[in-house]
Amino acid sequence: MSDSSETPNVAEASGEAQEGIDTGSPLAGFANRLLKPLRDFVKADTPGRIDKAGKAALILPTMASTLIIILILGFLWYEATPIFLDPSGGPGIIVSPTWDPNRNLYGIAIFIVGSFLCTGIAIGIAVPLGVSGAIFLSEFCPMRLRTLIKMIMEMMAAIPSIVYGLWAYVVMVPYIRNVMAPELQSNLLTSWMPWFQGSTNGLSLLAGGLILAIMLLPTVVTITSDALLTVPRTLREASLALGATQSETARKIVLSAALPGVGAAIVLSLGRAVGETMAILMVTGNSLQIPYTLFDTTYVMTSIITNQLGYAFVFPLWRSALFAVALILLIISICFTVVAKLFIRWGMKTRGYI
Amino acid sequence: MSDEGQSIFSNRFLFLREWITNVKQSRRHLADFLFKAALTAIVVIIIAPFFLIVFQVASIGFWQVFGTGRGQGIEFFLTFPGVGLEGGIRNAIVGTVELVVLASAVGIPLSVLGAVYINEYARSGLVRNIVEFTSDVLAGIPSIVIGAFGFTFLASFLNLGMGVLAGSLTLAFMMIPTVLRTTQEALRAVPMSLREGSLALGATKWSTTWNVTMRAAFPGLVTGVLLAIGRIMGETAPLIFTAGNSLSVPTELVGSGSWVASIPYTIWAYISDPREYLQAKAHGAALGLMLMVLAVTVVANLISRKVTRRLV
Repeated sequence: MSDSSETPNVAEASGEAQEGIDTGSPLAGFANRLLKPLRDFVKADTPGRIDKAGKAALILPTMASTLIIILILGFLWYEATPIFLDPSGGPGIIVSPTWDPNRNLYGIAIFIVGSFLCTGIAIGIAVPLGVSGAIFLSEFCPMRLRTLIKMIMEMMAAIPSIVYGLWAYVVMVPYIRNVMAPELQSNLLTSWMPWFQGSTNGLSLLAGGLILAIMLLPTVVTITSDALLTVPRTLREASLALGATQSETARKIVLSAALPGVGAAIVLSLGRAVGETMAILMVTGNSLQIPYTLFDTTYVMTSIITNQLGYAFVFPLWRSALFAVALILLIISICFTVVAKLFIRWGMKTRGYI
Repeated sequence: MSDEGQSIFSNRFLFLREWITNVKQSRRHLADFLFKAALTAIVVIIIAPFFLIVFQVASIGFWQVFGTGRGQGIEFFLTFPGVGLEGGIRNAIVGTVELVVLASAVGIPLSVLGAVYINEYARSGLVRNIVEFTSDVLAGIPSIVIGAFGFTFLASFLNLGMGVLAGSLTLAFMMIPTVLRTTQEALRAVPMSLREGSLALGATKWSTTWNVTMRAAFPGLVTGVLLAIGRIMGETAPLIFTAGNSLSVPTELVGSGSWVASIPYTIWAYISDPREYLQAKAHGAALGLMLMVLAVTVVANLISRKVTRRLV
């Protein structure tokens, strides 16, 4: 008892003494500013001490994600520098098309082109379908059905990409080889089209684009329909009152009011598409060529890392080239995230939240 | 009698007549109808792959999980692969559980404490903006890039080597953004009056946060954790270069004995193998993985739905 009654007194006395000293001198003022939390800590009772110590201890976990991003950037940069400084590499590898580690040729243009073609096909399929599906969900769908479909969407988003890859490899690839390619190439309407030429074993750009589109659809639908649902009811009612039909309202009023949300959905799914690994790896055939038709095999950025990093880690240049690919992927994904955040900001601005 | 029956009949199909008159009314009404019909068809197309995938995986995987042959039925889950990989996938199941538990043990405290700090303590908008931005960026980074980072940072630079520790830390990195953002949302949804009530009774901020705010936000936190676990359970790419593969369970935390298998990696290895029975085993493993992930997701959704209903 006597202990606990004396300690605060001593702490207060010392605090007063120090406050008395530091008047004037800036150095002492700074020291005081540093010491004040410490003195407060000593002065406080047990719950107060826990409070102050806990607050200080929380700062480290808070910085965890920032620290991880900095570490990722730093380490990928550190690993990728040798190839950018080496005479056989240099920044020119981004546009050079020959990848042959045996001859010290590390051109990664093939993979960039492959990634962008796959992503382009996937986005070209997923965005129109996904936005239409979202319009159906938010405008015409009965409440119960909407709950059901949303649940299925959440499940689709949760299915691991390896399972999508397995399905694509076992079902879609044989389908493209046995049904789709012969159909499209024998049919009068489509057989002349340059992008349907060439023989195929099913492992193709088209298979990659299709499975990617299927994987992106839940994301596009969920984000877009959320954006559509936040459009104020009054807008719809005004349009309907002016005599527009429901579909005209949905297309011209609701969709244009929710445009920032749709933009965010597209950009976020672009980011996911570029970074998707396992499903694409299993169905695109992974051969070192630039695809000219939809049935050609292709090689994407994520696949080359997955396939070769295991062999390459004892060869400094080879390994460094793979990390350069990873660095490019990282920069692309950061850009997409920033653009998506800008879209969301724009959307909040149009609603007057900011 | 017949009159009544007729009226019921005509009532039942009244909407049809109304609809035909609507469609015949003008070209715009026809366009409206066609638009709706097209959208319905598109929604069917969108959800069809889900059922196709479930059907494919279940129809082949079913006999792995419920059959009675070698390495089938309960043996599929309880035996090690053994010679020629003819046994079960116990190594993968144990490996996935170990990886997820270790990743959660690291990832959940980091992200929950971070969310508490930026929502309850951070005074300036700067800290909050930085943390929100970096966690969004982290959520968008491709999983193979995180895998490559785990390989160069954890396995090479920190000298952990490939194995269960490096693998689970890599998964923990992937877990942080999901848990952080959902916890933050849950904390934000807690009414200010609860905190003020506790503070007015003389509680410190620390005890208010943990005894009052966190208790109210707990269901939301559980939702976020379950969603994150469901996500990392199915990740393959980060584990290829950080966890390795193994035909038995790891015996140590760091070193050559710590290599660990996981269900997604096993699916990948088996499906790339030409042997017929391994393809079937891959389907069985995919069925098991999908059931686990879907169960976790559904539970998470049920919790979050219950919570939103209570709050609204």
